[in-house]
Amino acid sequence: MPGRECEEALDRLFEYIDDELPDDELRRIGDHLKTCPPCEAEHKIKEKIKNLTSRTGGDAAPEELRQRILASIRSARDDH
Amino acid sequence: MTDAQLDFETEALSYMDQLFAAALRMTRHRSDAEDLVQETYAKAFAAQDKFKPGTNLKAWLYRIQTNAFINTYRKKQRQPKVSDAEQVEDWQIAAAAEHTSSGLASAEQEALDQIGDDEIKRALADLPEDFRMAVYLSDVEGFAYKEIAEIMDTPVGTVMSRLHRGRKLLREKLREYAAERGIYDKRPATKKDSGEVCHARKGV
Repeated sequence: MPGRECEEALDRLFEYIDDELPDDELRRIGDHLKTCPPCEAEHKIKEKIKNLTSRTGGDAAPEELRQRILASIRSARDDH
Repeated sequence: MTDAQLDFETEALSYMDQLFAAALRMTRHRSDAEDLVQETYAKAFAAQDKFKPGTNLKAWLYRIQTNAFINTYRKKQRQPKVSDAEQVEDWQIAAAAEHTSSGLASAEQEALDQIGDDEIKRALADLPEDFRMAVYLSDVEGFAYKEIAEIMDTPVGTVMSRLHRGRKLLREKLREYAAERGIYDKRPATKKDSGEVCHARKGV
C-alpha cells in the first residue's frame, strides 16, 4: 500500500536521518524515498536542517579556562 | 598517580572544547559556560572512581555537565522547565501533516541554502532548554538516542519527543527568518500545488 508507506516514512524520517533504524526499516524507507518525490522533499529539508545545526558547535575553550582547570586538577592531586 | 588515572585525566581533558561549546549552548553566556565546564571537571575528577573504564567517557562527562547545569544554572537563569506533558504520539500525528507540496518544499529548500550560521545559532538559542539540548546532543555531538537518554536522564521516548518538537520549532523559526529577509514565502500552498501532494495525504 503506497499510502501506508508514506505514513511510515514520514513518521520515521528523523530516526532515518539520525541512523536509529534497524537495517530492514532503513532499507524499506530508503526505497520508498526513491520513488516518492514529496516524501523525499521532506526528507531533504529535515536533513538540511540537521546539517545546518551540526555546524553550530566548534567553539574552542579559552586558553585561560584550560589553564585554570589544569591548575585546579594539580592542586586537587597535591592534596592527596 | 597510576597510569589509569593519568589516562583518565588525559582523555577527559581532550573533550574540553566540546564541553565548552555545549556549555555555551546550554547557558548562552560565555562566563557561565566557563564556570560550568570548570565545575564539570571538578565533579568528574572527584568522582573518577565511579567511572567504569571501557564505557563512554564522553557521554559520562556530558551527563555530569548536564546535571550541573540543571542544578546550578537553570535555577540561576530562572528559566522554566518545559513540560513533556504533550503526548509522545502527538508528534507522530503532526508528522503526517508535514507532507507538503513539492513546490513549497523546494522553496523552503532554497531558503535554507541561504540561511547563515548566525541565524541557526539564534534559532537554536531561542528553543526551550530541554529541546535545545536534545537537538544539540543529536545534531552537533552525534550522540545516539540511547546516549542522550542517559545524559538527560529521561526515557528514549522523551528524547524522541524533544527532538521532534525542538526540530519543528527550529524549522518554524528558520522559516520566519527567511520570510523576514524576503527569501521565503510562508503562505500556504496554492491550488496549482495541490496536485503534487502525496497520494497518502489526499483528503486528510
